[in-house]
Amino acid sequence: MGVKKKIFIALAIIAIAMGLYVYREYFRKNKNLSYVKANFKIQANALIKEFEENEKNANEKFLDKIIAVSGAIRDVIKDDKGYYSIVLGGDENMSAVRCSMNSIDQDEVGLLKKGNIIMIKGACTGFNADDLLGSDIILNRCVIQKNDSR
Amino acid sequence: MKKISLILIFMFAAGTFLRAQDKFYTKTGTIFFRCTKSPLEKIEATNRSATCVLDTKTGSLQFAILVKGFEFERALMQEHFNENYMESGKFPRSEFKGQILNNNEINYTKDGVYNTTVKGRLQIHGETKDVETIGTLTLKDGKISASSGFSILLSDYNIHIPSIVSDKIANNVNITIDCNLELFKGQ
Repeated sequence: MGVKKKIFIALAIIAIAMGLYVYREYFRKNKNLSYVKANFKIQANALIKEFEENEKNANEKFLDKIIAVSGAIRDVIKDDKGYYSIVLGGDENMSAVRCSMNSIDQDEVGLLKKGNIIMIKGACTGFNADDLLGSDIILNRCVIQKNDSR
Repeated sequence: MKKISLILIFMFAAGTFLRAQDKFYTKTGTIFFRCTKSPLEKIEATNRSATCVLDTKTGSLQFAILVKGFEFERALMQEHFNENYMESGKFPRSEFKGQILNNNEINYTKDGVYNTTVKGRLQIHGETKDVETIGTLTLKDGKISASSGFSILLSDYNIHIPSIVSDKIANNVNITIDCNLELFKGQ
């Protein structure tokens, strides 16, 4: 085999590999968090406290991270398009951790009740502070990590 | 004298009772936007954690969202949206504070569909601009659903589209809002 041919084959392989990488990157979906290890495991009330005490530090620590939050369910909300939000956190204040659930595991989420103790894993999108309504830490793409009522 | 004080007490009680029923809210409002230019590439995302407060007495209306809460179908698009365009690390929240201009035409005690004109200040990417739009309030069984659609220009909010993707991302963004509001019962 000539040198030219070898170079050609090598270039062709590189081009295909790059094309494949670009293609996969371009169509990449958000990961299903069931298969992602949490960066932090924390109680809902402890997480609320960290954000209330110092939002800036808490943002630096938790923003965009995957957090597994455990606590008692305060509320289960289903919107009119069928998407669930689970609210975790103590009753002393209005603040809470709101978990916007992944659309894949809706059947199990639908069975959850107020007061159930649960661990939910989600991507932290930040702290929505509101004087009137109470401030919330919002987790997206959430999945059930551990369900003690099951 | 006794009668007058009774009336006063009644009026005061009725007043506080009514005041408690003025505000409606949600924390699971949906905000959707689309800035697709090329039919080959859908550029759209949904945020399902918008907070909204409507004061039926004054017609004041507020929305707030976390920018990072927008979910795209494609992860790469979502990353670019947060890092390059919205700079959500620097500007984590977007909000709207405004007023229903024709609030006195809405009978909040009667079920029905009411057209509204809303005017206020919209803050995105650290820039605040006046917006005015029309929407509807649907009153049913003590709940209010609020919806509206309007469009903004990215250039108004200091968001620049690099020329390499200018055939894919439209400067004109269509925004749709859907909120189901419940009575706010206080702390």
